[in-house]
Amino acid sequence: MDTFIQLTVDALTLGSVYALIALGYTLVYGVLKLLNFAHGDVFMVGSVIGFGVLQLLGGTTHPIVPTWALLLLVTLAGMAGCAGIGVVIERFAYRPLRDAPRIAPLISALGVSFFLANSMQLLFGATPRNYDTFSLSNGALYFRGFDIGNVKVPLLRIITIGSAFVLMILLWVLVNRTRMGKAMRATSYDREAAAMMGIDIDKVIVFTFVLGSALAGAAGVMFAMRVPTQVSIGFVAGLKGFTAAVIGGIGSIPGAMAGGLILGFAESYTQGYVTTKWSDLVVFSILIAFMIFRPQGLLGRKDIRKV
Amino acid sequence: MKKGLALLLPVLATAVVAASAQGGRTSAVAASASSGVSCKSTLKIGFVTPLTGGAGFLGQEQLSWAKYAVKTLAPPLGLKITLVPGDTPVEQGPAPAQALAQKFVADKSVVAILGPSTSGAVAASSQTYFQAGLVHVSPSATRTSLTKGSTREATAAFLRVVPGDYIQGPSDANYMIKTLHVKKVVIMDFQEPYSTGLADAVETTLKAAGVTTIRLSAPNTTTDYSAYVTKVASDADIVFFPTQKPPDAQTFAQQLLEQGKKAKVFGGDGSNDSTAFKVPGSYVSNFAPDITGIAADKSIIAGWKKDNPGKPVGSFGPPSYGAVQVLLTAIKLACVADHGVIKARHDVLRHTKQVVIKNWILGGTFRFSTKSNDPLNAKFYIFQIQSNGSYKLVG
Repeated sequence: MDTFIQLTVDALTLGSVYALIALGYTLVYGVLKLLNFAHGDVFMVGSVIGFGVLQLLGGTTHPIVPTWALLLLVTLAGMAGCAGIGVVIERFAYRPLRDAPRIAPLISALGVSFFLANSMQLLFGATPRNYDTFSLSNGALYFRGFDIGNVKVPLLRIITIGSAFVLMILLWVLVNRTRMGKAMRATSYDREAAAMMGIDIDKVIVFTFVLGSALAGAAGVMFAMRVPTQVSIGFVAGLKGFTAAVIGGIGSIPGAMAGGLILGFAESYTQGYVTTKWSDLVVFSILIAFMIFRPQGLLGRKDIRKV
Repeated sequence: MKKGLALLLPVLATAVVAASAQGGRTSAVAASASSGVSCKSTLKIGFVTPLTGGAGFLGQEQLSWAKYAVKTLAPPLGLKITLVPGDTPVEQGPAPAQALAQKFVADKSVVAILGPSTSGAVAASSQTYFQAGLVHVSPSATRTSLTKGSTREATAAFLRVVPGDYIQGPSDANYMIKTLHVKKVVIMDFQEPYSTGLADAVETTLKAAGVTTIRLSAPNTTTDYSAYVTKVASDADIVFFPTQKPPDAQTFAQQLLEQGKKAKVFGGDGSNDSTAFKVPGSYVSNFAPDITGIAADKSIIAGWKKDNPGKPVGSFGPPSYGAVQVLLTAIKLACVADHGVIKARHDVLRHTKQVVIKNWILGGTFRFSTKSNDPLNAKFYIFQIQSNGSYKLVG
């Protein structure tokens, strides 16, 4: 039973990060019908920005602000930095190709991905960077928390899972309860009609990139608070986020959340109960199964083409 | 028609001149190849190591020491040497090592190779170097099957200045058995040659001594080890964690503490980095001692620090310095024997095996074994991480 609880905690931690990444994919796809393959690298950049700000604030050994403020500032910095990068990417890599054949922005996305990974490596080197949250407040983030049976749920995991769910709820509210959200939905449904109704499409698209990239930045920081960050993490994280988005139904916000969690559970339970060796095989087999038997994903809509 | 011919003639003439120029260049290269390379010219040593990726720290450290060795050791020998680094990120598998081997073999001024630094890269490229007669001396590739066994993965042109896992595996396991008195050990591997070879060696020795072992295998791209930590039995004494990415060893050790597991992490030489792996109580093994304690190395360390201010003296750099010293000595011997010309790359290879270095940077005298292309009498050292993060030699 303890193993089950522990794996469930692991799955929720992992799944909530995957869900945040998947949301970025799904938001951009929903509005632009573009698979933003640079998204994983935006996630990586977020984790590196977070690391930089953490150092500016004295690091985890000599922080100049209280722990809660440190975590908040680092996360906000990662989100803000990535939001800015999202704007730049949209302006220079995607907007000029908005009316080009769909393959063009896809290739541009791959180019941006390589550009981000390589420029980060040139700027900051290849050495993995550890936030070292373990040293923060004498390990409080690891040793405090609550127990379920014999399993300890540490504070850092509670913060990760809690923050991810808060961000998901905020996103849901923003998309479903605000004027900008309404504009996003309208643009997603029919871009031309939305423009004719007076919606500023450029503004909506930029906002979508800001939102998706900020979520990736938050995910990057949350991820790097627990494991070291390095330039190469973007590729795998992006792939997992994309898989989660497809499983949930690309374009569907609740689908991305569900897809991320499903992926987290699949990965953790496979590693825990089946084999540690083939967890990626199982995860990507689920993706293939969805592509074959339910290509629209769990909560996605079937793409109806009118002739 | 006449106009056409008038246009055609210059084109033909240009083609003929170009073709003859090409022919001339080809014969010049052939002549150069057959007559060898002058020792007065600038010779190149290729350096194959992971400069980027998870093991980039290792390559960068090695590069700084190799550069320093070339800078300080080549001029006294009357050699002009250029070190040409090539990157083999461990995440990209054997392809970069194969591509670099082709590149270095094609460049006639490359007379020796430092590295490849990782075992996988050696296995992927040794045959190419061997066919070109190009000696490749690794400062850190430790997989046993590179130099030993019936199915050797490296060729006779490969040598290493550090002992292999045939020493590291049993050394680590014996330390666990005899000093730590372990009953149950979890052994990880990362589905790549370095870790599987080392994990196998440790597992064999532990099993032979009656220790219970549990084997876990993670993809080399794994970053979050939570689920693996969950599988570590609460009564396990040690988790043997032969990663090439020290921050991963740190993460694993922290996650063990997070889940309240008593097991300590025991890393191999790949996790020996005091700036990244510093959870107190953990262990690491390495093929090099802490050279700051060797009196004869003081001036070398001081010189290197001058070139690399603020950088700590690690364990991967000094063997690279030693490997460069071996190669430079072999090049010098070949130059002397061939009267100022390296007639064939094979001559450098032949002389490498005969190199003897007194006051070896890792202590004592260095020479290769007569039975294999490994160093004679080399051993592994075991360190325990102290509460201040420093590494203390314990075995």
